[in-house]
Amino acid sequence: MNPIVVIGLGNPLMRDEGVGLFVVRALETRKERFPGTDFIEAGASVLGALHSMAGRTKAVFVDCAFMGEPPGTIRRFSPDEARSIKRLAGFSLHEGDLLNSIQLSRNLGECPREIVIFGIEPDAVKMGEGLSSLLSGRLPQYVAAVEAELMAELHDC
Amino acid sequence: MSKTVDIHVHHITRVEGHGNIRLRAEDGKVLQCEWQVPEAPRFFEAMVLGRSYEDIQTIVSRICGICSVTHTFAAIKAIEDAMGITVSEQCDKLRMLLHYSEQMESHSLHVGYLVAPDLLGVKSVVPLVASHPEVVKKVIKLHRIGNQWMEAIGGRMTHPVTVKPGGFASLPTEKYLRELKATLTECIPDLKAVAEVVLSLAGKLPAFERPTEYVALVDSPRAYSFYHGGIGTTDSDEIVRPQEFERVANEYVSPQSTAKWCKWHRESYMVGALARFNLNAEQLLPLAAATAKMFGLKKGCCNPYMNNVAQVVELVQVIEHSLQLIDELLTAGIKPELAKSTPREGEGAGAVEAPRGILFHRYAFDKKGNCVKANCCIPTNQNHANIQKDFEALVPQFLGESQDDIRLKMEMLVRAYDPCISCSTHFLNVEFV
Repeated sequence: MNPIVVIGLGNPLMRDEGVGLFVVRALETRKERFPGTDFIEAGASVLGALHSMAGRTKAVFVDCAFMGEPPGTIRRFSPDEARSIKRLAGFSLHEGDLLNSIQLSRNLGECPREIVIFGIEPDAVKMGEGLSSLLSGRLPQYVAAVEAELMAELHDC
Repeated sequence: MSKTVDIHVHHITRVEGHGNIRLRAEDGKVLQCEWQVPEAPRFFEAMVLGRSYEDIQTIVSRICGICSVTHTFAAIKAIEDAMGITVSEQCDKLRMLLHYSEQMESHSLHVGYLVAPDLLGVKSVVPLVASHPEVVKKVIKLHRIGNQWMEAIGGRMTHPVTVKPGGFASLPTEKYLRELKATLTECIPDLKAVAEVVLSLAGKLPAFERPTEYVALVDSPRAYSFYHGGIGTTDSDEIVRPQEFERVANEYVSPQSTAKWCKWHRESYMVGALARFNLNAEQLLPLAAATAKMFGLKKGCCNPYMNNVAQVVELVQVIEHSLQLIDELLTAGIKPELAKSTPREGEGAGAVEAPRGILFHRYAFDKKGNCVKANCCIPTNQNHANIQKDFEALVPQFLGESQDDIRLKMEMLVRAYDPCISCSTHFLNVEFV
């Protein structure tokens, strides 16, 4: 297990919902540039991400996020800079909230020292494969943003 | 004195609806009592049309982040049925082993993350870390073991990539199976500890019974079935072939829901851990049977809240059976058999037990192996009518209680079914502070 992990979340069959997976797949093709880093497609398992980050020093999440920004915007933030306004019914394991999983990880004492979230405002969350043309066109920009984060980490070492 | 009860648990996100509970009562008379649910992931059926038979199971695994292995296997069984493909004994055992990792993950999550907070009077598992750290850590450990086990055999966390028509694209090593055996053996004391905590709280489960029909896979006398066999019911001795699942589900449209509902011999039926227990209890392995006895869970139980207890029993069962399967695989030695298949025109169906109940898939293919028809019937849809009938029987029994207590009992009932609703999107929804 490497000290740093990049985790992509989402469903690739719900258009922009799956943007985190597209970013992680692109990064994984050049993973040799980032020693000490694992790349994980966590898919729809928000609670599974709890295990993927446990015991690491840094976790970087890439996920579709409704942030009130124009569609296509990417924003870097820490869990402490955001508050979830997602309404969970509490009926089912099938709904998930990344910020809750991070809080649980912190309470368990196994959370990485540093957590960074790259939220990407969707243009289309609906049935279908592939990203919207807006997000698809900006995918290189999203990949570059996460790469810059990882490169900075390498330079700090 | 007149008393009004007005409960409206309403959850609609930006993209999907969750289930809603609606109850209105005046002076002890129920005016409206409804379990309202939106359509679940039926739209995925359209997405596989035109796709190759080799890709279907990978696509449908995305239907759900909790039951992805079961969707994979329901699809693969239907594909192999359509193509006339049979698999080796080794492949069959490895598939069961992979399938058990999902039961382990899902049941430990459900009992630990959703049921335990109800029984301990808190809103979620997060505060339990402070108040009950040892049991929460054991639940997390069990969930983590299931997660890593799934990744090791399925090739990826949550959505498996090694399962192909005719076999596996890659195989676990004997070294890994020996390690898994050691891990599973070591986790039995943790499982017992979790079971004892649930037992200490089981008295808080509402005492409510309503006889209904239970439907699950039956493969008697081979094993307590999650993967093999036909469709059994507590209402008759008939075992229906998976190819005829529509004759069991009898899907229909209810005006209070956009999801299809199901019925067979009665106006509703229940699927899930309690249904499997009620149909297969004699086949439980010794430790699992002892766990059922510890809880006083007996065949014929018709308290839906006891589905949670049946899940604890099944956690023990899947570990015991997995240890047996690993021993058998290691004794025979892992042979380097990889998936091979040839497409042909045909139609097939598969039935597999998801943690929350029996799941049916049907596909038809043209001669090139491209999908021309798809139909998925998920366990939660099969349970909707039963939840409604439970509500109708439950509410009058507890109408004298406070509105908050009635609401909690209704919410706990829905949670007891471990439903799969609103599972296709997982985005963040945040405001900055």
